[in-house]
Amino acid sequence: MADQEAKLEHEIHAHEDEDPAVHATRRAVLQAAIGVGVAGTLLSTLYVGAGLVPKKVVTPENEPLAAGDILVYAQGDNKDKPISPADLKLGGPQTIAYPMNPKTNVVKGGDPNNTVLVVKLEPSRLSPATAKDAAGGIVAYSGVCKHLGCIVSNWEASTEDFVCPCHQGHYDPANGGKVVSGPPPKPIPQLPIKVENNQIIATAFFVAEPGKEV
Amino acid sequence: MYQWLDERLDLGRLNAKLFRKVFPVHHTFFLGEITLFSFIVLVLTGVFLTLNYEPSTQLVKVEGLTDPVQAAYASILYIDSLPFGAVIRSVHHWSAHIMIAAAFLHLLRILLSGAYKKPRELNWIIGILMLVVTIVVAFLGYALPYDNYAITATRIGHGIAESVPWVGVAVAQIMFGGDFPGSSHNIPRLYSLHVLWMPLVLMGLIGLHLLIMIKQKHTQPKYAEKVAPGKILGVPALPQQGLMSGVLFLVFVAVVFLIGGGFLAHPVEAYGPLSANTPNVKPDWYFLWIYGLLKIIPSSFEFTIPLFNGGKFGPEFWGGVVIPSILLVGAILIPFFSFTEGNVKQRYLELPSRHPRRTSLTIAGLMFLIMCTMAGYIGDPGMEWLTISRAWLLIIVVPIVTYFVSFWIMRAIWGETWQKEPEIELIVGGGQAPRA
Ligand code: HEM
Ligand code: FES
Repeated sequence: MADQEAKLEHEIHAHEDEDPAVHATRRAVLQAAIGVGVAGTLLSTLYVGAGLVPKKVVTPENEPLAAGDILVYAQGDNKDKPISPADLKLGGPQTIAYPMNPKTNVVKGGDPNNTVLVVKLEPSRLSPATAKDAAGGIVAYSGVCKHLGCIVSNWEASTEDFVCPCHQGHYDPANGGKVVSGPPPKPIPQLPIKVENNQIIATAFFVAEPGKEV
Repeated sequence: MYQWLDERLDLGRLNAKLFRKVFPVHHTFFLGEITLFSFIVLVLTGVFLTLNYEPSTQLVKVEGLTDPVQAAYASILYIDSLPFGAVIRSVHHWSAHIMIAAAFLHLLRILLSGAYKKPRELNWIIGILMLVVTIVVAFLGYALPYDNYAITATRIGHGIAESVPWVGVAVAQIMFGGDFPGSSHNIPRLYSLHVLWMPLVLMGLIGLHLLIMIKQKHTQPKYAEKVAPGKILGVPALPQQGLMSGVLFLVFVAVVFLIGGGFLAHPVEAYGPLSANTPNVKPDWYFLWIYGLLKIIPSSFEFTIPLFNGGKFGPEFWGGVVIPSILLVGAILIPFFSFTEGNVKQRYLELPSRHPRRTSLTIAGLMFLIMCTMAGYIGDPGMEWLTISRAWLLIIVVPIVTYFVSFWIMRAIWGETWQKEPEIELIVGGGQAPRA
């Protein structure tokens, strides 16, 4: 028994000694097979793993803001009702709004990037560029902080600035939403508006992409 | 009964091999155990919560509320209405605080007593990983109540994840199940990670940690060398050590229930469901230092590598990812930077006073964290004196000054003798054996 095994082994070695080239090819083929197997496994894992990134489903509630949308209260007693310009107090604080599709009356509050800040300032304080997209003293901006995406819902009355509660980013509504202080990397984009039938209406999309700066 | 089991499982051998293993005793050794106890309490209370929690953001009507709210939020209101439901939730939250605090103190103990040195480098690394995973689990669980406060805090975390150049957006999409908030996959994804996958990872790490500890044996106080050189001085795992731990566990449970019942954590009703405005949030204390860094790093700290799409290195990335990662890697490397001992295996605790450099560095590191934490209070009422530039100054200067002052004090007290081990006088006559 043991003899036989020893003989067998001897034969195998003899075989290898006979032709080292065969041995080398065999090793290369094996290595290639293992390599292909590992690569294939990794690729298919990645393909399956891609399913972990959820698909974006567009519903009427999270469609992006569009020209013609009516700004409505996002919260409070008048939630989902159009904001009437007369109710805005001169000198702030801002009112948080969502756009409403004028045809279907669906409020597009499903996507946080649709959040809009509306505030009424002294028209003479607005910079010319800002005044162009304003309706009298009423200006509208994207409500999503450019820093890490909080809703910029605080107001500094002394300087008339929007303040982000998360890391104290200050934005100037009279000057195109410019960053006055704090960590935000960019201004919040302005929303061009007009006033019609006692309603505030978006006349175009935000002047730049809204939402956290990526 | 015992005999029946013994014949089949060889309990006698198990007992002799494992349960009679000797454990040295020192009060700081219980920090690790407290971490473990908190984990056990988290799992037990967590199981209760899963049985009543609904991981969904579908809107549902709740009696007493005019507007419909998300099902997750509604189920928390339901849990709070159960007998002791609010207390269980509160205990779950408090145990998370305690687990993180105890793990951190445990780490400090290891660091200050030199127990991380050869051969225990692996367990040091596993320990740091466990601390990180624990903090990640706590973060992933934070959004589950789906109240306005928790959502805002989690939204900031989502923003930090997205800030990583190139891969950040994909990572955030996978971790949070899409944009947060706003995707219906958010809560199911966070839920599964929080209650299943991350705790499993943690359990694996804990098991490994304990196995390695048993294999390598515990470090022990220095006096053991005098009393019984080369041996471990302590009590057997069973029954003595087990009894001590059991009693401690019961005390622990009593204390967390006392705290949890007395101070209800995270009152969701006070915060309300998701709304359009942002409450003034502060993260839990263990994130405050990162939060402080985010506040003081200006927006100008930014550059872009215009290769492929999205090579942006912004302020959130520096404060939220880079600085914490540097600290983390630095901590992991500590055992590989200890030149003081030669090639010997560490078996005894070192006295912090005998290692003034390491001790002072540790205190300076703590000062750094404390100063960053303080920066988290910039802009709060009563903190007007703390400007961003002053915060920078404090963060840089205080740790450096602390290091030198601490070093100087230790030197003044222990002089140049710190390299010498303290002389220990034996009072009893038992341990006269010559030193090994
Ligand atoms: C391992 C460490 C764990 C930590 C650090 C941790 C931490 C947390 C935190 C901070 C919350 C938020 C609680 C609140 O604000 O009310 C939470 C919620 C929750 N956790 Fe955990 N947890 C852990 C393990 C587990 C386990 C193992 C389970 C389940 C088996 C679980 C189930 C839950 C559930 C269902 C919630 C949502 C209910 C609620 O928020 O009250 N947790 N966890
Ligand atoms: S998210 Fe607004 S300042 Fe950080």
